[in-house]
Amino acid sequence: MSQYKDPLRVLIFMGLILSSFTVFARGVYQTDQDFLTEVFNNSVPKSKVVWMKADLASTVAELLGHKYAGLRIRYWRNEQRSAWILEEIGKEKPITFGIVVAEGKIENIKVLAFRESRGGEIRHPAFTQQFKLVQLDDMQLDRNIDGVSGATLSVRAMTVVARLALYLDKFTG
Amino acid sequence: MNRKMRSLHRSMGALVALFVLMLAVTGILLNHTSDFDLDKRHLTWDWLLDHYGLANAEADAVYLLDRHTISQFGSQVFINAKPVTQSHVPILGGVMIDDLMVLATEDALLLFSPEGEFVERMGDSVGVPAMIQNIGLFHGDPVVQTRNGMWRSDFMLDQWEQLSLNGVGWSEPHAMPSLVQDELSQYFRGNGVTVERVVLDIHNGRILGKYGVWFADLVGVFLVLISLTGLWLWLRRRL
Repeated sequence: MSQYKDPLRVLIFMGLILSSFTVFARGVYQTDQDFLTEVFNNSVPKSKVVWMKADLASTVAELLGHKYAGLRIRYWRNEQRSAWILEEIGKEKPITFGIVVAEGKIENIKVLAFRESRGGEIRHPAFTQQFKLVQLDDMQLDRNIDGVSGATLSVRAMTVVARLALYLDKFTG
Repeated sequence: MNRKMRSLHRSMGALVALFVLMLAVTGILLNHTSDFDLDKRHLTWDWLLDHYGLANAEADAVYLLDRHTISQFGSQVFINAKPVTQSHVPILGGVMIDDLMVLATEDALLLFSPEGEFVERMGDSVGVPAMIQNIGLFHGDPVVQTRNGMWRSDFMLDQWEQLSLNGVGWSEPHAMPSLVQDELSQYFRGNGVTVERVVLDIHNGRILGKYGVWFADLVGVFLVLISLTGLWLWLRRRL
């Protein structure tokens, strides 16, 4: 008897197909230390901090759309580039981003850790490559970033964090 | 076989019909949380707050640092009765370094100003040792006990050396001071429970505790069986 005439086998087959579509977005994709080691080719410079004093704090709040949750931000810089590890809430939980800025432009942006059940598509290079060579133009990115259906808040988080990193790179440069 | 399958299909359908209705209605509401502002509306009914144990919320951890009470309820960290930050891992202890409050989790140090403002989270990117079990002070220097040994730093917290020390003043949990407990109870009752939380707990059975969750699982199993028996009957007809 052909397997297509056996309903039980068809049901099992369909069950297996459906279960394969389960997508787990949550996870730590790269530790902070590994990110920095990769960015600076094993020669990670000593970190520095920038304190959120009054004027800077209000500019940062304007960039993020809310007050920054911390009194200082740590960064790493050598002659060629600066690296920033920043967190921003997606829908409810923080997403950890690693951003590399060189010559005032985004060299690389990565999702280091994603903690929500949806919206993790932003970690894929197909999405993040939109940010390559993006720079600030009057506090906005100089390029439009295409969204991802079902990941609006994650896309927003990555966009504001990119703006913040570009601004802070210039501020601390 | 068909008759038995049909009878089984109908019986299970009748059994779960009401629960399917409940799942559908709560599911639709949850899909439109933002449209209905379900996460911004709060319920403050006494019986509901008692059911959620909010009136008598117990801290997962309490530490005293100088004149401040550090407590953690779930992922929310409080300094005295003021929410200051979220931590999805437990606070394991805390010390004062100069006038900074330094709280330890298993993979990071959380720094707070004397006014209780969050300063920074310092993790492996600045060399803070991993797998922290406790934090203490040795002649004013911060020391962490990890699963890989003991480490000491200075007030900058970004250079750590591994060593073994006796006489470290380790952080210890403390009972919640009654004054802070009263303020925190007021804080929890004041906000109430979001409508979203209540709808979600009805949807997944959690409103009735662990038995409600198992019951929701059982309804789920019935729905799977109904789907499979229904598909079976449909396929038998077609094939």
